[in-house]
Amino acid sequence: MHILIVEDDQVARDHLAKALREVGHTVDVAVNGLEGLHLASSIALDLAIVDRMLPKLDGLALVQSLRATGRKFPVLILSALGDVDDRITGLRAGGDDYLTKPYHMSELMARIDALARRGELGGGEAATRLKLADLELDRMTRRVTRGGKKIELTAREFQLLEFLMRHSGQVVTRTMLLEGVWDYHFDPQTNVIDVHISRLRQAIDKDFDKPLLHTVRGAGYSLSEEE
Amino acid sequence: MDQEQRFLGVLTSSPFRIAIIYSVLFALGAVALLGAVYFAVSRVIDGSTDNLIEAEVQGLREQVLVLSRSDFIELIEQRSQDQDVRGAVYLMVDPQLRPVAGNLPAWPTIGAGEGKWIQFKVAVPYGDQTRVHEVRAQRFPLPGGYRMLVGHDVQERQDVKNVMMRGLVAAVVMTMLLGLGGGIWMGRRILAHAGAISAVATQIMRGDLSQRLPVRDAEDELNTLAREINGMLDKIEQLTLGMRTVLDSAAHDLRTPLNRLQSTAEAALAHLGEASPERRVLERVTTEVDRMRSTLDALLRIALAETGTVAREAVDLSELVASIVELYAPVTEERGIELQSRVAAGAHIQGSRQLLAQAFANLLDNAIKFTPSGGHIRVFLRNETGGPEVLVEDDGPGIPADKRELALGRRVRLDEARKVPGSGLGLSLVAAVTKLHGARLVLADAGPGLSVALKFAST
Repeated sequence: MHILIVEDDQVARDHLAKALREVGHTVDVAVNGLEGLHLASSIALDLAIVDRMLPKLDGLALVQSLRATGRKFPVLILSALGDVDDRITGLRAGGDDYLTKPYHMSELMARIDALARRGELGGGEAATRLKLADLELDRMTRRVTRGGKKIELTAREFQLLEFLMRHSGQVVTRTMLLEGVWDYHFDPQTNVIDVHISRLRQAIDKDFDKPLLHTVRGAGYSLSEEE
Repeated sequence: MDQEQRFLGVLTSSPFRIAIIYSVLFALGAVALLGAVYFAVSRVIDGSTDNLIEAEVQGLREQVLVLSRSDFIELIEQRSQDQDVRGAVYLMVDPQLRPVAGNLPAWPTIGAGEGKWIQFKVAVPYGDQTRVHEVRAQRFPLPGGYRMLVGHDVQERQDVKNVMMRGLVAAVVMTMLLGLGGGIWMGRRILAHAGAISAVATQIMRGDLSQRLPVRDAEDELNTLAREINGMLDKIEQLTLGMRTVLDSAAHDLRTPLNRLQSTAEAALAHLGEASPERRVLERVTTEVDRMRSTLDALLRIALAETGTVAREAVDLSELVASIVELYAPVTEERGIELQSRVAAGAHIQGSRQLLAQAFANLLDNAIKFTPSGGHIRVFLRNETGGPEVLVEDDGPGIPADKRELALGRRVRLDEARKVPGSGLGLSLVAAVTKLHGARLVLADAGPGLSVALKFAST
């Protein structure tokens, strides 16, 4: 992917660019909002990571200008502000995801992958049937089967599985799950997500030889055919 | 607001009440003024006709002594002939009350006694029609059992009195109507203004500090008040904006170096082998960064909630509490704690869903932390008359009564709590969020254990 980083903090910018290049992305960097706007308008981008507070042109204003000129690539906003309302203003300005500093690189990478996938799929999100190996989920009938055998899930487990299947093959963090499935934006002190995942794992993997729901150490979970 | 309510609103508004009181006072004034004029004029008119009749009676009494009966009859005829009935009235009757002379057709039946003044009605022809006129008269005996009546048509003066009376009633009715109409008009005007003010005030209380009270062109007390309150709001907005700016820059200045620390540590970690001794050190660093971040997040959220500038939305409290219970149910089960809940449906409030969710999550995190395996946690949402109430109870060690106040303060971790991890800001955040929503936070003994109640005001 061709990714643009607009970040005024040099240390963060360098580490981010290096990490993204290491996993094979093409990276351009801009140190202020104006430079970011010029670059974003002149090159074909797959994704942009924009810091919220930037010199010369504010991050939100930058995203708004991009959207106003018809640029549709996904934008991840990084913020060093307080949160709650800031997230909403960030997304309203045209951002697709919002991450507060300090962040784990694994969290950022997982979110970038999810955003890129969303861009690829386009309207594909509306697909009623999701399939991974012998696991099938029908959003209309709310029926889940594995190897033709029906699996009973609670409403929440169904939502959780649907989220994981839509991100199959990618790493999904606990925060992403809490945001995507429960619409909560805070970190619980208790390992609530892990327990929900282990229940889901019981339901879909227990009676089958090949596990599909994997734990990714230090990052989160992944639903995939590969180990 | 429907019509009826609006009308009732006008009726109970203070300007309307004042208008009613004043219109009644003005009406009383009109009654007193016009009444005084009425009586004075009546007295003058009455007095002048009465004097006329008295003089005529006196004259005739003298004449009857010197004139023969026939001359006297002629005198009466003379006097009554050149007089219209509307003017002077004469009647002389014989002892059988049969008319002998005069311009009155019959002796009046009323007032048979010999009282000085009598008043009676007479039909007077007016072309084809007849009109009833009022006559005021005196009677006196004549020699030989004859009787005499001398009077005067007082219809004109009655007409004047009637006109005055009608004028008086009309004036009073007009005063009342004007007062009432003016009261309703003023009431509606002020109510409209006050309604606009209270609508904006509600929005302001919900946290939209950019709103200002409406100011009209007219110079009245409400306008002056609205302007002064707006000035006050400007000041408050400036202060909160200042606080937000301080918070934002504090957040920025703390998050940026933390982020550098984190990314530097992670970048270094990426090149270290699994067994490398430096790995442990760097992992400690990232763990500490995480801890600092969660403390910072909590502090910022508490500060945000305390500035009251968080956006409010309609929150389905029932759905929210049920969803938090559902989020925590598996983890309690895994730890051998029984989580019971009873959530009443249909509880709605205005507020921040995210902050409320975090507050409830903090309460459950706390309850789980302090409840041993085999214990119970109960979550209730009740629709009380005063508003919804959320209750989280556990049967852990609880908090002694004398330390409950303390537990809500910032950065207080009671001795018992030191054994378990946490930033110690959980309850402080709950307290700040409760305050933000105008709710009351009550810590009590669940016997055994801690009971935390959030009592919201109904909206």
